[in-house]
Amino acid sequence: MPASHGTASPGDGTPPGDAVATHCPYCALQCAQTLTRTAADAPLPVEVSGRQFPTNRGGLCQKGWTSAEVLRAKDRVTMPLIRTEDGGFREADWEEALDLIAGRLAVLQEAHGRDAVAIFGGGGLTNEKAYALGKFARVVLRTRYIDYNGRFCMSSAAAASNRSLGLDRGLGFPLADLGGADAVLVVGSNMGVTMPPFVQHLAGVRERGGLVVVDPRETVTARLTREGQGIHLSPVPGTDLVVLLALAHVVLAEGLQDAAYLDARVNGLDEVRRSVAAWWPERAEAVCGIPADDLRRTARLLAAASPSRGGRGAYVLTGRGLEQMSQGTAGVTAAINLALLLGLVGREGSGFGPVTGQGNGQGGREHGQKSDQLPGYRMITDPAARAHVAGVWGVDPDTLPGPGVPAVQLLDSLGTADGPKALLVHGSNVVVSAPHADKVRGALGRLDLLVVADLVPSETAMLADVILPVTQWAEEEGTMTNLEGRIIRRRQAADAPGEARSELWILNRLAARLGVDSGFPTEPEAVFAELARASAGGKADYSGVTYARLDRGEELFWPVRGDGPGGEHPGTPRVFLDGFPTPDGRARMIPVDHHAPADDVRAEAPLYLITGRVLQHYQSGAQTRRVAELVAAQPEPFVEMHPLLADRLGLADGDLASLTTARGRGHATVRLTEDTRPDTVFMPFHWAGEGSANRLTNDVTDPISGMPEFKVTAVRIAPARLKEGAPA
Amino acid sequence: MRVVVIGHGMVGSRFAEDLVAREPGARVTVIGREPGGPYNRVLLSSVVAGKTDPAALAMSAVDPARATVLAGVHAIEVDRAARTVTDSRGDVHGYDRLVFATGSAARIPDIHGVATDRGLIPGVSVLKDLADAEGILARLPKARRAVVLGAGVLGLEVATGLAARGLSVTLVHHSGRVMERQLGDAAAQIATGSLARLGVRVVTGTSVAAALDRRGVLSAVRLTDGTEVLTDLLVMCAGTIPEASLARRAGLPCDRGILVDASLASPADANVFAIGDCAQPPEGGTGLVAQGWDQATRLVDAWSGASVPVAREADEDLTNVVRVKASGLDVVTMGLSGKFDHGERELRAVRLADPSIGRFVEVVVSHGLLVGATVVGDKECASQLSAMYTRMIPVPADPAHLIIRPLAGAAPAAAVAVEDMDDDATVCQCNTVSKGRITQAIAGGCASVEDVAKATRASTGCGDCRGNVARLIEAATPDKVPALAG
Repeated sequence: MPASHGTASPGDGTPPGDAVATHCPYCALQCAQTLTRTAADAPLPVEVSGRQFPTNRGGLCQKGWTSAEVLRAKDRVTMPLIRTEDGGFREADWEEALDLIAGRLAVLQEAHGRDAVAIFGGGGLTNEKAYALGKFARVVLRTRYIDYNGRFCMSSAAAASNRSLGLDRGLGFPLADLGGADAVLVVGSNMGVTMPPFVQHLAGVRERGGLVVVDPRETVTARLTREGQGIHLSPVPGTDLVVLLALAHVVLAEGLQDAAYLDARVNGLDEVRRSVAAWWPERAEAVCGIPADDLRRTARLLAAASPSRGGRGAYVLTGRGLEQMSQGTAGVTAAINLALLLGLVGREGSGFGPVTGQGNGQGGREHGQKSDQLPGYRMITDPAARAHVAGVWGVDPDTLPGPGVPAVQLLDSLGTADGPKALLVHGSNVVVSAPHADKVRGALGRLDLLVVADLVPSETAMLADVILPVTQWAEEEGTMTNLEGRIIRRRQAADAPGEARSELWILNRLAARLGVDSGFPTEPEAVFAELARASAGGKADYSGVTYARLDRGEELFWPVRGDGPGGEHPGTPRVFLDGFPTPDGRARMIPVDHHAPADDVRAEAPLYLITGRVLQHYQSGAQTRRVAELVAAQPEPFVEMHPLLADRLGLADGDLASLTTARGRGHATVRLTEDTRPDTVFMPFHWAGEGSANRLTNDVTDPISGMPEFKVTAVRIAPARLKEGAPA
Repeated sequence: MRVVVIGHGMVGSRFAEDLVAREPGARVTVIGREPGGPYNRVLLSSVVAGKTDPAALAMSAVDPARATVLAGVHAIEVDRAARTVTDSRGDVHGYDRLVFATGSAARIPDIHGVATDRGLIPGVSVLKDLADAEGILARLPKARRAVVLGAGVLGLEVATGLAARGLSVTLVHHSGRVMERQLGDAAAQIATGSLARLGVRVVTGTSVAAALDRRGVLSAVRLTDGTEVLTDLLVMCAGTIPEASLARRAGLPCDRGILVDASLASPADANVFAIGDCAQPPEGGTGLVAQGWDQATRLVDAWSGASVPVAREADEDLTNVVRVKASGLDVVTMGLSGKFDHGERELRAVRLADPSIGRFVEVVVSHGLLVGATVVGDKECASQLSAMYTRMIPVPADPAHLIIRPLAGAAPAAAVAVEDMDDDATVCQCNTVSKGRITQAIAGGCASVEDVAKATRASTGCGDCRGNVARLIEAATPDKVPALAG
C-alpha cells in the first residue's frame, strides 16, 4: 500500500511537528488521515493525506481526500441565526440565541411538562458529544424523548446482536482478521462504494474464491466476486432473509454444522432447525429468485471454510440492505444463526458482524443517545444501571426519565397534542435522511420551537427557528469508535470560523441557563473521563480508556475495563472468545421467519424501489454536496434501471422519470444499467427536493428495533411529462 | 373460541401455530395421526436421494403450552350437530370451529401381487410419510435395481435420487410422456433426455401389471406390455388421494376432496373448514404445500379480522409453481403450462427448444403479465420467472426477453483492457480519476504508481486499480518496469 501516505505509528499516537493525526469525517471505517496546517493565505486551513492504519492502510476515497473543503463551505454557518418575522434569518450573538432557546424551552416545559422537549442526535457526533447530549436530555431537560439517526442505521443489527449474543460491538474482531479467511459472506453491504479502503481486506478471500455477496444489484462489491473470486447472489428485494434461511437449511440438511461448538456454546438449535426445515432451497428459490443449486453451492462453500470442517475460517457480515427492513432484526438474527451453526462466532479467524455505517455509528449507540439507553450500553429501565449512572451524574436515580420512543415514532409525534413541542437537532438532516420525508417536514412544521445545530444550512436547518453554528471534525478534539469497536482519536488541526462552537460548549451554556451549573464540562477530555466512569461495568465499558493511552498509540477495543491488580486492561480486540455475555454464557439461536415487505408490489405499483449510496456522497449530502469535486462527479439525483424495464416504460438513458409510491412522487434522471434486476430500480438518497429518495420510502418500522423499511418500496414509474406535470 | 384441528402435518401445524400467535384467546386442540410432530414431507424424496439428513425434517409446531396436541391419535368421528370430535382413545372434543387438515394418502394402484393382507410386500413402497422413507432407506444397502412407477414430480425425484445412489432405475409411466399434467410433448421429450443422461431408463405408455416375488420379497415387476423387469424395489408414485373419508362420514359434501368455498368453509357447515391437500377449493387443489400454507394464512387472517377472504380465480392462484427437486434435472412449471386451453383469452406463448443441451423454455403472457411458464434445463431462467410470476411483475415489451435475458445478464460485461479505454473512462473509481488524467500525470514525469497516486490520488482508495496504473506507466515507458511494491 502507498507508503508515501503513511506515518510509522500503527495507532493514533501524536505525530511530531505540524502534522496532526486524525480520522476522516465521514463513514465508520474512519480512515486515518494526516492533516497538515497550511499557510495563512491558503484557501483551506489544512491539507489532507492518508495515514497508515490497520483499517485503511493509507487509503482514502474521494470524500476523504476532499474533506477539508467542508471546513470552508461557502455557506458555512458562522453565527447563530434566528428566524425573522418575514421567514428569513438574522444573525445573532450567542447570548441572545441561547437566552431565546432556554427561555422558550422553559416556558414549554412549564406549560406541557418535561416531555415537551425532545432531542434528535446523530451517529456522526463524537463519543463526548453523544454522551453529553444524552446526559443533557436526562439531567437538564429530564425528558424521555431522545433518539438519533443511528436508529436508521444500526438499530436492527444492534437489537439482534444484543438478543442473540448478549452484546453489540459491530464487528467483534479487527478488520484485518478478514484477510485470513476462506470465505466472507456479505449480506446487503456495498463497502466497495461506501467505504472503499475496506476492500483491501477482502483480497485474501477473493484469491481463494470465497467472497459471497448478496445484493439485488451487481454493485461494485458484488463485482469483486467475478472471475472465480466468489459468488454473487441477486435476490428479489426484501428477500435476503430467505437466502439466509435457505443457507441454514442446507447446512443442517447436509449435516455441515459445527456440532461440538453448538453443544458447548449455543442454545436454541432445535427450534431453529425446525424453523428452517420450512425453507428448503427450491421453496426459497421461488421466493427470492435465486436458483436452488446456487444456494446449496453457497452453503457448502461457507461450510468448507468453517473451522470445524478444516477451513481457514469464515465471516458473516451484514449491512443496511438486510437491516433496513421491517424484518431487519429477524434478518440479522438469521445471519447470526448461520454464523453460529458454522461455529464462527467467538473464534479467532472467524466471526459475525454488522458493518456500521456512520462515522461514530458504533460509539453513538453506546452512550445514551438511544431512547432506552444510558451510557455504557446500559438499559434505562434497569434499576442498577440507573443507580450507577445517576451516581456518576450526582443526581437522584428517580429523577431520571424512563424510556422514550424510537426515531420514526418520535418524529411522528412532534407537535401533536401529546407530543413534544420543541426539538433540538444535532448532527442530523432528517428531512432528507428520514423515511417518508414529506411527513417529517410536516411534523417539524408543527413544532413551537425547532433548534438545529449544524455546520451548514442543511435542509433541516432551513426549517429551524434557531440555527446554531457548530465545530466539525478538524476543528475539534474527541474520540470516535469505529466499525471494529476500536476507540480512536479525533484531533484539532484548524480553528473554527466565526462564532462556531462545540456542542459541548452549547450544552454547558444551555444547562446553566436552565439551572444546572455543573456537570457539563466543555473540555472533551474531561467529558471523556466522565463517560469512562459512567460506562464502567456496562457492556460498552470504556473505563480503562484515557486520552493519554490513545495518544501513546495504544490500540484499544472496548470493553476496556478500569485498572485492576494486573495493571491496565488491554482491551478486547476479539469479543466472545471466552463465552457470551448472556446469563448462562451461551449464545442464543432464535427462530425467525420471513414476511413480504409491508409495501409490496401490486398492480398500481409493480416494481421495487431500493435505495443506497454513491461513492462521492455521504448520507443526506449536507457535507458532500458542498464539495465541488464530488458534485462534479455525481451532480444530481438519478434512478438506475435495467434497459429492458426502460424499454417497456418508454424511457431512455438521460430521460426524466416520474416515480410514485404510496407516500409521494419524485422525479429523477434515468441511468441504464444491466447491474440491476429488471424488477427493481435503485435511487441514491443523498438529495432533497424532487429527486429525494426518502420522500418515496416507507416509514413502517421493525417491531423490535424501530428500523424503518428504507430498503424496499413498491413504486410505479412513468416518463415524466413536464408540461402537464407528472402522470397519474 | 374452541378450535379443533384434525391433522398435524405441514399445513395443520402451521395453521395452529399461526392461530395461537394471532388469537391468544383461542383454545386449540390438534389431533395428529402420526406419532411425532410435524415434519417436512416435501423433502422425503431428498431423504431417499441421500441429500437431506432425516433429522433435519422436523418442523416447528404450535407451542404445547398454548394448545393441546395429541400425537399418534386418530380422529374417528365428527358429530356436527353436537359439534364434537371423538378420537381413537374415546375422548370427545367439543368445538366452535373445526378445521380439517388431514392431507392426502398415496394412491396405491391396482397391481397384482403388491400387497397381501399384511400390507405391501417387502420391497414395495409408496413415499408419503417418514416411515415410508425409512423403509426405503433400510432396503438400499442390498438393493441394486429399482422400478419407480409414475413420472410425476415425486416419481422423477425418487428415480433420479435412486439413480444418483448408483441403482439401476426404470421409471414406468402410464402416459405417453413424463409429467403430462405440466409438460407438453417437446418439454417432456427434453426432460426424458435429461433423465436418460442421469441413468434413468424411462418407459412410457405402460404401467406395472404385477409384482413378482421370491419367498414373499419383491424380485421383479411385469409391465402391462408383458415385459418383466428385475428389481429389488418398487416405489409407487402414482399420485395422491385427498383424505376426506372422515368428512364424508360426517355428511360434508366431498368430491375428490372436501369441498370448500372461497373462504375455505364447507358449503354445508359454516363452522367447518378444510385446508391443504384434503380440501377442494373452487380453484381446485394442486397438492402443493404452498397452496396449503397460503390457505392456512388466509384462514387465520380471516378469523383475526386482518383481511376479508376473497374468491379466487384459478388463474389467480400464484402458488402453483411446480419444481422438481433433482440434481441435474431442472424442471419448473407455473400457471399455464403443458397442453393448456387458451379459452377466450388473448395469450402470447413464446418458446425456445434446444434439445441437444436439454433446454426448453416457454412463457405465456396475458395483458403484460406472466401467466404461465415451463422451464427445463435452465435454472437461472426458472428462478427469475417464478419470482416474477408469483409477484405479477409486468413483463418486458417483447416476452422473448424473458427467455434470453438471464443468459445475457449472466455473461459478465467484457472487461476492457486499460490500454483500450477512452481517455475519459474512469480508472480509479474511488477517486473518480480518468485514464486521461493518469496518462497526463505520467507524461508529466510520474514514474511509479506512488507518483501517480500523489499527483492524481488514483489507487489510494480500495487499491484495486494499482495494476492498471502500473500498466499505463509501462505502456508509456516501455523500457522501464514500474515497481508495484509500496
